[in-house]
Amino acid sequence: MKDIAEQEVIDIGDMDVEAFNEYANEQGWSDGMPLFVPTEAKVAKFVETVRGDNRPYPPVPPRQVVPTLQALAANAVMAGCKPEYFPVVTAALRGVLDPEYNLHGTLATTHSCAPMVMVSGPIRHELNINCGTNCFGQGRQANATIGRALGLMLLNVAGAKPGEMDRSTQGNPAKFTFCFGENEEENPWAPYHVQRGFAPTDSVVTVMSGEGPHNLNDHGSTTGDGLLTTFAGGMSNPGSNTIYGKGPMFVIIGPEHAATLKRDGFTIDSIREELWKRSRVHLSRVSKENLVTYETTGHKPDGDWLSIGRDPKDIHITVAGGAGKHSAFIPSFGGTTVACTRIAR
Amino acid sequence: MRIFNPSFGMAAAGPAKVTLQPVNWATDAIALISNSKPNARELLEGVRAMLGAHRPVDNIHFHAKNSASQPAPKELIEKVAKNYKAALLALGD
Repeated sequence: MKDIAEQEVIDIGDMDVEAFNEYANEQGWSDGMPLFVPTEAKVAKFVETVRGDNRPYPPVPPRQVVPTLQALAANAVMAGCKPEYFPVVTAALRGVLDPEYNLHGTLATTHSCAPMVMVSGPIRHELNINCGTNCFGQGRQANATIGRALGLMLLNVAGAKPGEMDRSTQGNPAKFTFCFGENEEENPWAPYHVQRGFAPTDSVVTVMSGEGPHNLNDHGSTTGDGLLTTFAGGMSNPGSNTIYGKGPMFVIIGPEHAATLKRDGFTIDSIREELWKRSRVHLSRVSKENLVTYETTGHKPDGDWLSIGRDPKDIHITVAGGAGKHSAFIPSFGGTTVACTRIAR
Repeated sequence: MRIFNPSFGMAAAGPAKVTLQPVNWATDAIALISNSKPNARELLEGVRAMLGAHRPVDNIHFHAKNSASQPAPKELIEKVAKNYKAALLALGD
């Protein structure tokens, strides 16, 4: 008999859901929340949804195994996905497998990063993905389970077991799930996937290894210039990875803030430029010891300032959320990229 | 009831096996490689100083990844493989 880790199909007898969850915990398959049972019949329904996508998967680091569609589908079933979510989850997986995403580094690091999954295009509404009020939070099956399914794949296929390969000092609630949709309907500029060269009619998944969203509260500013001062202040953080491990970051602008910025003539590019200039960290806020480390590893200050990325293009901008005067800053792991994958349908 | 194993995967083809050459720790060139995190360099400086009590150190050199969060670049790995018989890696963290 093969070891369980080598068996593609396992006969678990007549276990009920509770017994299966005990069994799955023993196998190390769980993120700690209850799982659905990945029966052959359920897995087959999920696999059917991606039959048009025949591109092979590369070995998944750090474990370096080549996953089967059935194993991937088993994770999506366990997460509570509907079958029609599966193409979104596999697109997200392809994104984190972009070599520039640095999956091994982002999973093994002591940093708290988790894969941020953002969905753009028509599929957002077809799957009832929350793009508006409370889009980063609870309440929608698609948001909750798509992000969770990717997390389970990284646990079970990639091998990112907490305390073993996943060495995060404190972790992050976003490791359970972090999936939302762009609010394209209230975005006065181009949706993110269009900024990246996709057609508006394409459905696209964007992934970045990020921290959870940091709130940018501004109820008082009535001008775009004022809002950018607040945004930049929230982004200017000497404790961020990107102050030395230069890399991308997202600013997710709430619709009301976006409308003010648009009214005052700001574009995506001009917002980037302003945030880049205003979010620099003054050396008086950086410890002497850290400054020595940054300088000896090639991250020299520009005069009395340290930038929070390589250039303005490291600041990625889009719109999500609902009514209210809030936006969000999502810094990344640093040594990673923002990867976009068109959903094969 | 039969289920699909969520951790199942096929083994990827591994890299070609290399034959390690014996190292003469008393004379051979050694690379001391830092992962670019704080204190890795200090650790390696201590190692170099201790080696200096037993052997010449003019062919023991420091190297560092250019980012703590990313793999060592191919050029660095090739340079170390070409010029050194041994490498010691320090993980500051």
